[in-house]
This record gives sequence, C-alpha cells and structure tokens, in this order.
Amino acid sequence: MAERGRVYKTEAVILRRRNLGEADSIFTVFSAREGKFDAIARGVRKARSRMGGHLEPLTRTRVMLAQGRSLDVFTQAETVEPYRTLREDLDRAAAGLYCADLLDAFTAEHEELPELYRLLVEILQSLDAGLGLHVVRYFELQLLALAGYEVQADACAVCGARLPAEDTLYAPASGGLVCRDCRAGAGTGRILGVTAIKVFRFARTATVGEFAALRIDPALAHALEGALGETIRYVLEKDPRSKRFVAEVAALPPLRTSEAGRNVLPAEPGD
Amino acid sequence: MPEGHAGPPEPITRLIDEFNKLPGIGPKSAQRLAYYILRVPEHDARALADAILAVKARIILCSRCLNITESEPCGYCSDPRRDQSVICVVEQALDVLAVERASGFRGLYHVLHGVLNPMDGVGPEDIYVRELVTRLNDGTVTELIMATNPSLEGEATSMYIQRLVGPLGVKVTRLARGLPSGADLEYTDDVTLARAFEGRQEL
Repeated sequence: MAERGRVYKTEAVILRRRNLGEADSIFTVFSAREGKFDAIARGVRKARSRMGGHLEPLTRTRVMLAQGRSLDVFTQAETVEPYRTLREDLDRAAAGLYCADLLDAFTAEHEELPELYRLLVEILQSLDAGLGLHVVRYFELQLLALAGYEVQADACAVCGARLPAEDTLYAPASGGLVCRDCRAGAGTGRILGVTAIKVFRFARTATVGEFAALRIDPALAHALEGALGETIRYVLEKDPRSKRFVAEVAALPPLRTSEAGRNVLPAEPGD
Repeated sequence: MPEGHAGPPEPITRLIDEFNKLPGIGPKSAQRLAYYILRVPEHDARALADAILAVKARIILCSRCLNITESEPCGYCSDPRRDQSVICVVEQALDVLAVERASGFRGLYHVLHGVLNPMDGVGPEDIYVRELVTRLNDGTVTELIMATNPSLEGEATSMYIQRLVGPLGVKVTRLARGLPSGADLEYTDDVTLARAFEGRQEL
C-alpha cells in the first residue's frame, strides 16, 4: 500500500455501494495505487449532494479522502469517465457489474494492483464503447492470470506434454487443458473444441480491442463462458453473486429497435 | 463476568438488545434509549409499545399495488377517480408519499419494495416484479411510469422491467433526469448534466 497522508487523492473505479443511516453510503472502490478499500461518503444520498452522481457504481472518479478512525471519508469526487452506456443498456450494465463483482471477489483490501486496475478500466471502456460482450471472457482470463490461476492452454496442465490440435478435456481442478494420457485423475471438466482452445491462446497476448474483434458464434460463446465459469467457481468455491443476474438479463426478450431509447429516453431536441 | 459484578437488570438488557437491532442504532445509543424509557411516564411507554404492536397488527400490503395499507385494497387502488390506465412504479412505500405530495399524479402505484442489486444477490424474484407483470395482463394499463431512483441499480431495475414487459405492448416511460433545484453546475456529474442538456426546454 502506498504511503498516505491525512488527506490524499487517488483515482478509482466505484465497485459497489451500501447505504448507511439516513443519507450516507459506504462505497467499495478500487484504485490503481491504494487497491480495493471501503470509504464513507456523508450526505451523498441527498439530492443536492455535491458528490452524489460522481460516486455511482461503475464510474471512474478522481476522489479526495480524509483518513478516518475506521473508514476513510470522501471529501471530494469528480467523474473522469461516467461510462454512460452502462447506465442505459441493461446487458452492458449486467456485464460491467459482473466484472466489478468478480474483481471484488478476487482481491483483498489495500493490495496495490496497477495492472488489474488498467484491465478493469479497459473492460469498462470496451463495454461502454459498444464492443462485443465477449470481452467479459477476456476480463475473466486476464483476471485469472493476474491472480495466479492462468489457464493452461498450450501444453497439458498435468504432464506438460504438447497438445495435438483436437478436442481436449478442460479440467478446472488441473488448471487447464489435459492430454488424453492424463485424463484419469485430472478432475471433472468439459471437452473444448479446437476453436475455443485457440481463443484461450489468443487472449493471452491480444489486446482487448483485438479480442473484441474476434467473431464468436453463440455455441463458442457458450463453451467459453461455461469453461471459465467452472474455473471461477473452482477457485472461489462459489459463483459470483452477480452471475445469476447476467443469466436473467440474457433470458429477457430483446428490446425492439423501435423501443430502444424511445420510450425511456427523451428524444434529442431537434430530432 | 466475575461474581457480584452483574450488568444492568435483565429487562433493561433485553430492551437494550432490542434497540440495538434497529437500523442506525449502535450499542451506546441503544443504552441511552433504554435508560430514557426507564424514566418516561408509564403511559408514554405504553403508547410507544402499542404503536409498534398496532403497526404490526393492522398494516398489510395491498394485494394489487403492494403499498402499505390498513384496508384491502388500499385507498389508491379503490379510488374510482384515479386513472386506472397508468401505473407509477416506485422502489419504496415512502416514495409513494413523495410522488403524491409533489406531482399531482392521479394514477395508480406499484411498490417494488427494493431494487435489483446484482452484487448483493438481489434479483427480480426478491422484489415485486412478477406481481407488476400480472397487473398488466388484462390490458387496462397502457403506461408504466418508472420512478425508480436515478442510480445504477434503479436504472437497471427500470430497464429490466422495460425489457420484461416489452412484448405486452405497454408504453414504458421514466421520470426526466436533470438538475435538482439548488444544485451547482460545477459539482454536477457528467451523466446528469448531459441528460439535463438533452432534456432542455424552451423558456
């Protein structure tokens, strides 16, 4: 953790909020320098609060904090990136919340993780910019790698032998793909096709933009989501709580284009 | 605890424990309240106890709008002068009071009793969403006004309901977003200010 004065400034992404008393909230934020921590914002739920809109979950904000006895207290907040699309598109909001939830589950408080911060910002930017929702898989893969659970996709995770280009067992308990000889005792898993394996390998060196440009059909998306979901469940020993919401949103009827933005958002003046 | 150094008498401890369960009341405040009750006249203490019991005994949720009420259906749902074709959807029963006080709205309400909060595991089945969809089935309602809070969770809830009822052909609107009176442009967040611009009106 970086050395902090009594009052300090940092840039952070707001992960979650819970209400406290009549008008206060406690926010869990993730910052490049301070890592993940909780801090309290006084009076933030009043309509005229100067910080209110700047501390919404999934916004990137410059904050100033004063050290408190137990929790630090926000004294100023100014939005850097509001990621507005996440506020106006339910699928993207669900994806963003899932990523924030996952990061929360994988991190301890006050751990300095600048690479993870960059990754989170990149993903929120990508979701905000309308890139394919499969960038969430990129986030999962990179997060697992940064947390020390890199998915082994090049060689057999058990014996290290080279893998032939064929359908291969993916076993979370073994840490990735497992060759035919090692299948017994590798733990349960699912068979992944060659394309899914290529996606895993590609993600390791690709930028988020390159990964977003991949064309991923629904069957492949399902396989990737399943495999990574099983890995995350294996590591955390539970599913992230927001995962159910992502599934519930995916099951909703799609918004008809004539409805999108029309009923809910006022038309642009001059439209 | 050593012999001879007992805490307060048992009824006081019990009262402290009960106060301590209330939101925003810590152990010190609970102690102070309990010792205050000890000193108030008996009829005041009885009035407080009776008021608490009456709330639990007489207040129910209206089977249609799920607002808190003493009669079934509630005063809003049973008032024939109110517009039966518009439902204003709010997060909490307290929000009904705020809308009634300020807006001149004369339609019906639906109280969700919460908001979707994926990270805390609050999903659609934990709030009264299904009951809302059921109310739309007979075709009387033509507009839903989403009056959830303009927070990420409130907006996600509105969008969820919009998607859910989409196939029913009901118009879904939401309250305008913009600057509260007394606000300071300098401190207004980007999303609110952008929406305030989009919703600008001719003077």
